[in-house]
Amino acid sequence: MRSARRLVVGNALAGVGALAVIAIALLPVAWGLSTSLKPASQILSFPPKWLPDPPTLASYVQVWEQSNLPIYFRNSVIVTLAALVVALAVSVHAAYAMARFRFRGRNFVLVALLATSMIPGIAILVPLYDLSVHAKLYDSFAGLVIVYAAWNVPILVWLLRGFFESVPIELEEAARIDGCSRLRAFYKIVLPMSQPGLLAAAIMVIMFVWNDFLIAFALTISENRRLLSVGLYTYISNYGVEWGQLTAATMIALVPVVAVFFLLQRRLVEGLMAGALKG
Amino acid sequence: MSLAITVTEAPPVATPRRPRRSWLPLAFIAPATALVIAVSIYPVFDAVLLSLHATRYAQKLQFVGLDNYLALLKDHTVWDDALTAVVYTVGSLALVIPYALAVALLLNRPMRFRGVVRTLAILPWVFSQTVTALLWGWLLNPEFGPVTYVAQQVTGGPAALLASPTGAMAALVGVNVWSSYPMAALLFLAALQTIPADLYEAMRMDGAGKVSLFRYITVPMITPTLVVILIQLTLLYFNMVTLIYVLTGGGPVGSTQTLALRVLKMSFENWDLGRGAALGLVLTFVNLALSLFYVRALRSPHR
Repeated sequence: MRSARRLVVGNALAGVGALAVIAIALLPVAWGLSTSLKPASQILSFPPKWLPDPPTLASYVQVWEQSNLPIYFRNSVIVTLAALVVALAVSVHAAYAMARFRFRGRNFVLVALLATSMIPGIAILVPLYDLSVHAKLYDSFAGLVIVYAAWNVPILVWLLRGFFESVPIELEEAARIDGCSRLRAFYKIVLPMSQPGLLAAAIMVIMFVWNDFLIAFALTISENRRLLSVGLYTYISNYGVEWGQLTAATMIALVPVVAVFFLLQRRLVEGLMAGALKG
Repeated sequence: MSLAITVTEAPPVATPRRPRRSWLPLAFIAPATALVIAVSIYPVFDAVLLSLHATRYAQKLQFVGLDNYLALLKDHTVWDDALTAVVYTVGSLALVIPYALAVALLLNRPMRFRGVVRTLAILPWVFSQTVTALLWGWLLNPEFGPVTYVAQQVTGGPAALLASPTGAMAALVGVNVWSSYPMAALLFLAALQTIPADLYEAMRMDGAGKVSLFRYITVPMITPTLVVILIQLTLLYFNMVTLIYVLTGGGPVGSTQTLALRVLKMSFENWDLGRGAALGLVLTFVNLALSLFYVRALRSPHR
């Protein structure tokens, strides 16, 4: 009897705790969303008005039609996709070589890759700027794509190597006995069978590029090359802040990552955990 | 036909790695290696060179030896920033570990809608540091922020956190904890799920209470994970720039300016690339030292 009551109390406490955790997690987004839907007259009020009354999309229309947000958004999409293609194409082959070939220096390369991912980004931002200026890649998408792809390569190689190793080697051998080249066996058998790994890798790159601020901040200067996160930041530093528009822009910037998160949460967790645990 | 015969005679199964030298592995790792050398390794050497020169923008002027480093050592504001980084890192760790563990224990309980609860509880994970700083900055806004309003109602006094040095640091640490607890919670959760239920059952049979179950089973079982989390988060916090830059900009009066943020400002606001590179390298060495320290700590007690 007593233990049953304790169980009920424990469950109730856990429920309250879970609600509190969720409330804290959602609070900033909820307030941002509320602000973005408010008519201009209700945004700067103190005490704050909690909910928009009536809700309006005016801030969204304004920010989409009268600011450079669509340019930033387009730039972020282009750079993210390009970095994704480059990072995956490069990492997939390297990871396969690491998984299936024994060659001299293999372990050295693996450890060296891991070691480079320990270099703090902020420490090599200056030389990267220097490098991009001298390579005539400053303020270009190509420069951004190269850096984003390269920074993701070490972790992707480690992640994908594990997935490739778990594909039974007999399948490849059977295919090669049937006259398939090694390359073809890789593309036709190993890659399709490693889809979960590829997906996890893809999500990691997408999140990294979409969410990055520092690299875009250091390597671009013009409006036409500006990415979303830097664009959001310049809203607060350049003009007096229009909070309605800023929160609307932030909500728009969140759409892709939140969509990826809800659709592919399990893969995301797997990928990022693999990233976290490798250390 | 003939193929089938060869197979039965000499099954190739046991020799997946043929001794024959192949160009394939080389061709496969070459692009990745080239990228990493160009964008991670070469820049470190370039940073060393930059740090040994006087610079004007991206131009290296004359060689100055260790002058940039000496200037950093003599600059007491750099030491202030180092102290701020320590306060920020240790303060955040002290809060994030208990919170993340509590969240993990909560998510590990059987409950209704567990899937939804888990998803929502780790949502802050997907927010970039930029977005996190912007949204929290608006919540904490000294004039119109709801947090300011509620704090004012509760304390009855001035409540603009971001306007005072201690308040800004407290707010920054809080926001940092909000943005970084999900990864720690997920790692804790994964560790909790590997603990066999029989272990608890056996000890409960022996009359152990909840506290001793936690103390003698849970804690030792998650300690390795705890160390991994500590390493990850220490480095993350120590090197963190974006969140601080966007939320407080290092202010008010430098109270939230950490060493990593100083690298950014030295380089891209003052355009003193030589000194910025030097401080960046110092930061890298601190990273290495911290990692080694943790690795040794991980090895000593249990193995």
